[in-house]
Amino acid sequence: MTGAIGKPTPYIDAVQKVTGQAMYADDYKFPNMVYVSCLRSTESHAKIKSLELKKAEASPGVIAIVTGKDIPVPFGVLSISRDETAMAIEKVRYQGEIVAAVAAETIEAAEAGVKLINVEYEPLTEFFTPQDSLKTCTPDEQIHAHTKDHKNIHKTAELRFNEPEKELETAKHKQTGEFKFAGVTHGFTEPHSAVAMWNGDETLTIISATQVPHYLQKNLSKVLGLPLHKIQVKKPVLGGGFGGKSDPFPHEMIVSFLSKKIKRPVKCTFSREEVFITHHGRHPTEINMSLSCDAGGKITALDADIIIDGGAYGSFGVVTSYYNGVLLQGPYEINKFGFRTRRTYTNKHQCGAMRGHGAVNPRYAVETLLDMMAHNMKMDPCDLREKNFLSEHSSTVGEFRITSNGIRDCIAAVRKKSDWDSRYGKLPYGHGLGVACGFFISGSALPILWNRYPQTVVHAKLDFDGRIVMFSGASEIGQGSDTLLVQIAAEELGIPMDFVQVEVADTKTTPVDLGSYSSRVTFMVGNAAKTAASNIRNEMVKAISKEKDTTAESLIFRNGRIFTKDKSLDITWEEGVEMAMAGRGAFVESGFYISPKLGGNFKGAGAGLSPSYSFGAFISEVEVNPKTGETNVIKVWGAHDCGKALNPLAVEGQIEGSIHMGLGQTMSEEMRYKNGQQLNANFFDYRIPSSLDTPDMDVTIIESNDPEGPYGAKEAGEGPIHPVLPSIGNAVFDAVGVRMMELPITPDKVLKKIKENV
Amino acid sequence: MEYYHSPDSIKDALSMAREFDGNFIYFAGGTDVQIYRKQKLEKNEHIIDLKSIQDLNSISMKDEVLSLGAMTPLDDIIKSKEIQNYFPLLMEAAKSVATPVIRKTATIGGNLLVRNRCTFYNQSQEWRNGVGSCLRDVGDICQVTGGNNDCYSRNVSDTAAALIALNAEITLINSNEMTQKPLKDIYLPCGIKFHDLDNKNILTQIHVPFRPKKWWYKKLRVRKTLDFTSLTIAATVDNDDMARICLNGVSMAPILIEESLDTLTIESLIKQARKNCKTVDNDLMPLKYRREMINVFLEEWWEYEHHK
Amino acid sequence: MEKVTLTVNGFTQSVLVESHETILDTLRNRLNLTGTKKCCDEGTCGSCTILMDGKPVLGCLTPTLRCVGKEILTIEGISSGESLHLVQKHLVKSLGLQCGFCTPGVVMTAIPFLEENPHASRNEIKESLSGNLCRCTGYKKIIDAVENAAEEMRS
Ligand SMILES: Cc1cc2nc3c(=O)[nH]c(=O)nc-3n(C[C@H](O)[C@H](O)[C@H](O)COP(=O)(O)OP(=O)(O)OC[C@H]3O[C@@H](n4cnc5c(N)ncnc54)[C@H](O)[C@@H]3O)c2cc1C
Ligand code: SF4
Ligand code: FES
Ligand code: FES
Repeated sequence: MTGAIGKPTPYIDAVQKVTGQAMYADDYKFPNMVYVSCLRSTESHAKIKSLELKKAEASPGVIAIVTGKDIPVPFGVLSISRDETAMAIEKVRYQGEIVAAVAAETIEAAEAGVKLINVEYEPLTEFFTPQDSLKTCTPDEQIHAHTKDHKNIHKTAELRFNEPEKELETAKHKQTGEFKFAGVTHGFTEPHSAVAMWNGDETLTIISATQVPHYLQKNLSKVLGLPLHKIQVKKPVLGGGFGGKSDPFPHEMIVSFLSKKIKRPVKCTFSREEVFITHHGRHPTEINMSLSCDAGGKITALDADIIIDGGAYGSFGVVTSYYNGVLLQGPYEINKFGFRTRRTYTNKHQCGAMRGHGAVNPRYAVETLLDMMAHNMKMDPCDLREKNFLSEHSSTVGEFRITSNGIRDCIAAVRKKSDWDSRYGKLPYGHGLGVACGFFISGSALPILWNRYPQTVVHAKLDFDGRIVMFSGASEIGQGSDTLLVQIAAEELGIPMDFVQVEVADTKTTPVDLGSYSSRVTFMVGNAAKTAASNIRNEMVKAISKEKDTTAESLIFRNGRIFTKDKSLDITWEEGVEMAMAGRGAFVESGFYISPKLGGNFKGAGAGLSPSYSFGAFISEVEVNPKTGETNVIKVWGAHDCGKALNPLAVEGQIEGSIHMGLGQTMSEEMRYKNGQQLNANFFDYRIPSSLDTPDMDVTIIESNDPEGPYGAKEAGEGPIHPVLPSIGNAVFDAVGVRMMELPITPDKVLKKIKENV
Repeated sequence: MEYYHSPDSIKDALSMAREFDGNFIYFAGGTDVQIYRKQKLEKNEHIIDLKSIQDLNSISMKDEVLSLGAMTPLDDIIKSKEIQNYFPLLMEAAKSVATPVIRKTATIGGNLLVRNRCTFYNQSQEWRNGVGSCLRDVGDICQVTGGNNDCYSRNVSDTAAALIALNAEITLINSNEMTQKPLKDIYLPCGIKFHDLDNKNILTQIHVPFRPKKWWYKKLRVRKTLDFTSLTIAATVDNDDMARICLNGVSMAPILIEESLDTLTIESLIKQARKNCKTVDNDLMPLKYRREMINVFLEEWWEYEHHK
Repeated sequence: MEKVTLTVNGFTQSVLVESHETILDTLRNRLNLTGTKKCCDEGTCGSCTILMDGKPVLGCLTPTLRCVGKEILTIEGISSGESLHLVQKHLVKSLGLQCGFCTPGVVMTAIPFLEENPHASRNEIKESLSGNLCRCTGYKKIIDAVENAAEEMRS
């Protein structure tokens, strides 16, 4: 690679961001715009007996009020669980659910209107724990009418290969653990915000803080009964997502409906408390897992029974249910393998996808069991893992195709850098090291909504000015995808990055991309962009070689020039552009990505299938105060196989961000509820680590060069979070000899365990 | 309606206070009270901002007595060489409050008078509507204990613990008099009315007469910044071996235990502390653990004190 | 509503504001200076940090009426024309930002900090940013950037 690829590259939008010029959703203002404020339920599960709007309607400045009945069409990111409506109809299912929305001239007037709405509720039986929801109830008590057997179970996902339970029954070396994980939330800094505009040509434009413009377009079309071609979704600069902006949301339906109704721009921006209520974060999870090994430390079987607490609606839950199990198939070879996940509905904020989707909690469980196994068998935990890694170009028991795999290099790197071999198990009491590994998908091979199209298309446009514009539906959410598009075009065409600009995430002007989730963008959009840009180059080569009578193969594009090796031809980029455009003018080339056919032929075979997988190994060092139980993570060494670091700065940034987020879930973050009401819907008490709480980090990038990834790249946005949590848990064991089976590892839990231990 | 006033003398401030009696609030840094206003827990219409009043933000040492203007930002306290040298306990306490930027606005006076906190009270109005509010707000029961008489919200001032351990006195001014009294005497063991300042009183000065032989400070919190305390202990020992141990964050008011090291035992210290702290489950850190930590912290101080 | 005169980024103008309004809302909603971000609106994240007479304050906790007669500086007033402030330059260069939503607050915290503490150690820099919530970067590259800016400012 001779161009921009592989070089540390600042983001193309960084100057905009650092000067305050970048426009996020709430920064948009339009003439004649109205503001929306939402009335939210004070009950967790209740019938709406009456809803009195008169007073509010008469309140100064109020323009329109809408309720659930006005927008009754259900929606949801997955077509199999469209169980949510824009606002509650007839009954509310969680505290904080939107019951009515008031549009007014100012936000204050809208808020005043909300206060004047009277609702009467008739309480229904509330379900706050998954255990409650697993029990049979009366039809009336069901949170959703569609669940089976009068239980509030949303989904049961189960797969089993080669009877793991039999092996586990007789296994000599076996570890079993019951784990419990609190729910956590994304905590992105930019609150949800959307502005909708009904245009003169009877079309809708919505600017929304979303990671998935395409799914929003589809759901809006359903809910509003508006053809797809009349809906434009534009993603502005986004202040973080991490999965929390990857569903279509009620407020997006509400502002769109209202703008169509009152023919004015309509904006809704959430308060931080509303962001917590909206949630869609990681499911509270309970896992019962068993793992067995043979005498040599080779894993023989794994079985897990998992319950995830989904909250009031479906969201990505069906996928989450599968991911909790299927993503246990790596990075170790396990031939007898099984799991069952049950996702329950409860009367709490709904859960969905969050960085590391579905796989983070089970990863903690399996890595902890491995550590217990190593301890029990008196083996080094790194050695034990090394005995079990899947090899390159292999396949898992559930028929995931493994291509490149740099896990051995990962563990070797952190082992060396942390001085593991001379320090593990030998540090003074209160001080410890722990290791863990992980793997993750690099894009889901199957689209969420089945169709015959590719997963992404990128258009590259060349015009007389010599500029390349990359049109892509990909959603930049801080991960650097816009910069990546530019780097790829610059690389393919041998031009400086400033010749390339992007036009992105606008369903009217950019070809469809499915969105920024499941770590798919670098792999899929990267491949498509590469093809699009190289197609431009092919067109240019054709024209130039014809005009200059050279062979096509001899042309080199580099440093803004096009030349032959012997320099018999040596022209500027602009001259090349002119030749290419002669007689035809500006042109667009296209590239797309479609996954190869993968996977087995059984039900559930599609879950977790990916064209490639990333791998990683992390080691953490902790200090535990045995008197107070306070735990301090001092340093984390992380090595991640991202295939190829197209932008090493961005890859490091993703790994460091993952360490921070993983640390938060391990140590201090937790959605706390009492009777369905969140006790900590604010940043005082939902405790995201500050700069002072975040440990030193040592990041190693491992490049395994994936055969199908663009330039060999895979992913780095989500994979690196998985090993972080268990490496900390395992380090606590090394420090004070107690196993933390519940997250977060708060001081009270550590202290309790230490006391039980003596 | 709301009105904002910015008097530039104490006299003017007091006369405004008289004029808007019962319907005003003093603003120092405003970093505490602003949030109460946003959450509609503080609804008085008139804000009297004390910021423009001269001479309320000086740090001076005279005859070994440290005097602090009530409007001195916590950040100035942390950076004062005199305080670093002679009153490191106060510096540590001030440094443990909120975040660096907030400490540039937050004042020492405001910190001493920071409002008591409770998980079920310090929430938005919409949130409180969900549980039906509590005694201290407009409801009629305590959401923590179910009782209908007492509020157990916690005093969370970190510098109060330090300054009480340092035997500080304060000067208060109201329309007709200036009074000086021990800081500890202003706090009341009641979550609703947690200090006895007449609402027109302005806290003007804090005096610290005493430089301890030894001091100790510890704050229990989850993160190393921002978090309000779950337990703060400040302790001093003077030249006559008199120990002053002040606990905060675990009861409605700071708890002071004062006893000579000659007679004090760790057992009696813990017993007194546990007896005096009315700790209930109104902080997100588990109740049992917070109580346990009272013992652990006191033992840690004890060890420190007896370590030669 | 009250009519007040505010000096923001060197320009003095009159605006009508509510008496309870915070300077954060005035900047964003009335003066169209949306570079200052609202993330929590209660003092817990630092994204709304601005300078008042050179001193950093949280916009969401500061009444607009308190800003009368003061020099307010926002992120929009930091870089003069084409040249970025060194803190900005290094944030860009070291990728001390991803989504960028916390960035204006980080810039407005780091600049006065370095002015006051040109010789700050890495740990002091880390501590000075402890009220700025960033969910993307894990802080490392932010701290790197501020450290590099300090170094360049000294040389
Ligand atoms: C994110 C965040 C974190 C925080 N963390 C902490 C923490 O860790 N520990 C902690 O203790 N606090 C904390 N606080 C609360 C607050 O910032 C501090 O207590 C601060 O010191 C209060 O000072 P202030 O000047 O801003 O007080 P203000 O908010 O102005 O006033 C507080 C109270 O004191 C009264 N008052 C103030 N000065 C006077 C005076 N001179 N005379 C009479 N009455 C007066 C006011 O009327 C008001 O009732 C935090 C706040 C935030 C936003
Ligand atoms: S202790 Fe009880 S009465 Fe006091 S604030 Fe908390 S819930 Fe309300
Ligand atoms: S918005 Fe002001 S501190 Fe968060
Ligand atoms: S860069 Fe996204 S919050 Fe800091």
